Amino acid sequence: MATVPELLPYKRIREDLFRPLSGISRRYAAAALVAFVIGATGLLAWGYQLRRGMGVTGLNRPVYWGIYIVDFVFWIGISHAGTLISAILRLTDAAWRKPVTRAAEAITLFALMIGGMFPIIHLGRAWRFYWLLPYPNWRLLWPNFRSPLLWDLTAIVTYLTGSAIYLYLPLIPDVAQLAKHNTPWRRKFYRALSLGWTGSDREWHALERTVKLLACLILAVAISVHTVVAWDFAMAIAPMWHSTIFGPYFVAGAIFSGIAALLLVMAALRKLLHLEFYFTPHHFNNLAKLLLLMSLLWLYFTVAENLTVWYGNEPNEMAVFGTRTHARFAPLFWAMVVLNFVIPFVLLGIRRLRTIRNATIAATSVVVGMWIERFIIVVPTLSTPRLASASGFYSATWVEIAITAATFAAMAMLYMIFAKLFPIIAVWEFKPHPEEEE
Amino acid sequence: MIYLTAEFRDRAAAAEAIRLLRENGIAPADLDVFSEEPVEFPRGVLDRSSRISLASVLGGILFGVLATAFIFWTQHDYPLITGGMPLSSFWATGVITFEMTMLGASLAAFVWFLRESGLIGRRDRSAPVPHVDPGSLCLRVRCTAEKAGWASESLRRTGAIAFGAQGE
Repeated sequence: MATVPELLPYKRIREDLFRPLSGISRRYAAAALVAFVIGATGLLAWGYQLRRGMGVTGLNRPVYWGIYIVDFVFWIGISHAGTLISAILRLTDAAWRKPVTRAAEAITLFALMIGGMFPIIHLGRAWRFYWLLPYPNWRLLWPNFRSPLLWDLTAIVTYLTGSAIYLYLPLIPDVAQLAKHNTPWRRKFYRALSLGWTGSDREWHALERTVKLLACLILAVAISVHTVVAWDFAMAIAPMWHSTIFGPYFVAGAIFSGIAALLLVMAALRKLLHLEFYFTPHHFNNLAKLLLLMSLLWLYFTVAENLTVWYGNEPNEMAVFGTRTHARFAPLFWAMVVLNFVIPFVLLGIRRLRTIRNATIAATSVVVGMWIERFIIVVPTLSTPRLASASGFYSATWVEIAITAATFAAMAMLYMIFAKLFPIIAVWEFKPHPEEEE
Repeated sequence: MIYLTAEFRDRAAAAEAIRLLRENGIAPADLDVFSEEPVEFPRGVLDRSSRISLASVLGGILFGVLATAFIFWTQHDYPLITGGMPLSSFWATGVITFEMTMLGASLAAFVWFLRESGLIGRRDRSAPVPHVDPGSLCLRVRCTAEKAGWASESLRRTGAIAFGAQGE
């Protein structure tokens, strides 16, 4: 039996990949219900926060950035799963990328949408968000474009727009196929999205050229986006934030967590949509090796970052270093090292252990570890300011936890909806084998 | 004008048909190949020039320049010194210029894709769109009534398995 998707008959590929779009299984309905309940709880918590103010969060002097900012950095990092990985694989013409790219690109879009929500949630008065936009006003007050917060806004808008186009373009041929045989409302929906695609060589030529070009652009944008997020911190002269390696450190961490998220999503899709022939051990093995490589790179950056601080022995920096490594935040710090390095290294470094199950365990470990890493970066610096007497404590409240949990549910929900509307693997990228056709 | 359609199972046969038609005066603009997956012919058979890259570069430059000019204007419109920085400086606003350049390049590439592919604007809506089975490809030829006879003959000779004609 063929185990490589390229060797399957095209008719079978189409059936396999279009099948999940119709019908809703019990498992799907149950998962959707759970995600909905968690998401609705988070919305209620946000409503409560909007009504009562930011006092319902654990934010207080001197820690004004809590897990909302942690979530923001985390989700923007996760967004690097898709477009960046997909773009690299597309540009290098890696043959094994075909089943992986769309699943990855969808992660990018949804993670960016979710990550982009957090600065608004963190604002407190969310309805003032438009103050960030340069709209004409009678007092001639414009946003301060020298502020890294404006850099964030433009970077995220650019990345979101580019990622949406990059996801949409390769979808067009598939939705054109779906528009031919479907229920009436779906036909209308797909027909509108396909823009009248006919499959002419002009269309294919323009599509391939544009996707390649966008892959180049998106690579630069993806790197810039997480660098800009890193600069939100690095531009402040705060201990252990004001670091020149923060940009590449964040980018490496983002790709690391992105690959882990992609592995998790692939494992879930493989199981739930019965795509065993498409997400094969070969794909997991390749991504697992990539994850291992990024784990080593992450360790290198972490050591470089902490060693220079320790050797410099500057009192304010050492206060933060101390609180991270052997005081209040030490359990989290060492948990992060175990989750991001020890577990992946053991499970993925030993060839015999590099199975789909272990790759999924390692990916889960990395996703959790990278969330903790963001927390370790954000909170200890703020709770240990230069003026020792001003130091404070931060602990997240139920409101923040509910909103954080809701974003994970929202991610699951968006992905489930996407998987019901569009084939999760680009069907047209598999070339038909005429001799295998009836 | 008459539209002829011919189905091929073999890519080489389709390429041969295109070559023959072009040698007899059919312009590449009058030829379209339909398929369910991208089809690549050898260089010179049916090359399509593209201006997507150029449009993208121009879009990037336009957005980058406009964004920089807008930042310059707004910061001087209400001069407010923050952090000891000059009102306009490459260091402080370079990131926004870069991001807007990339946004412009991406949007221009997308818009030009829509135009060049014919999904908006340039397509002849009266032209027939043949049904194509997976694995096969269909060649559509636009020609005058005088040329239709030998064009059909060329298609048949090169191995087309199904034919169609429309128009007058």
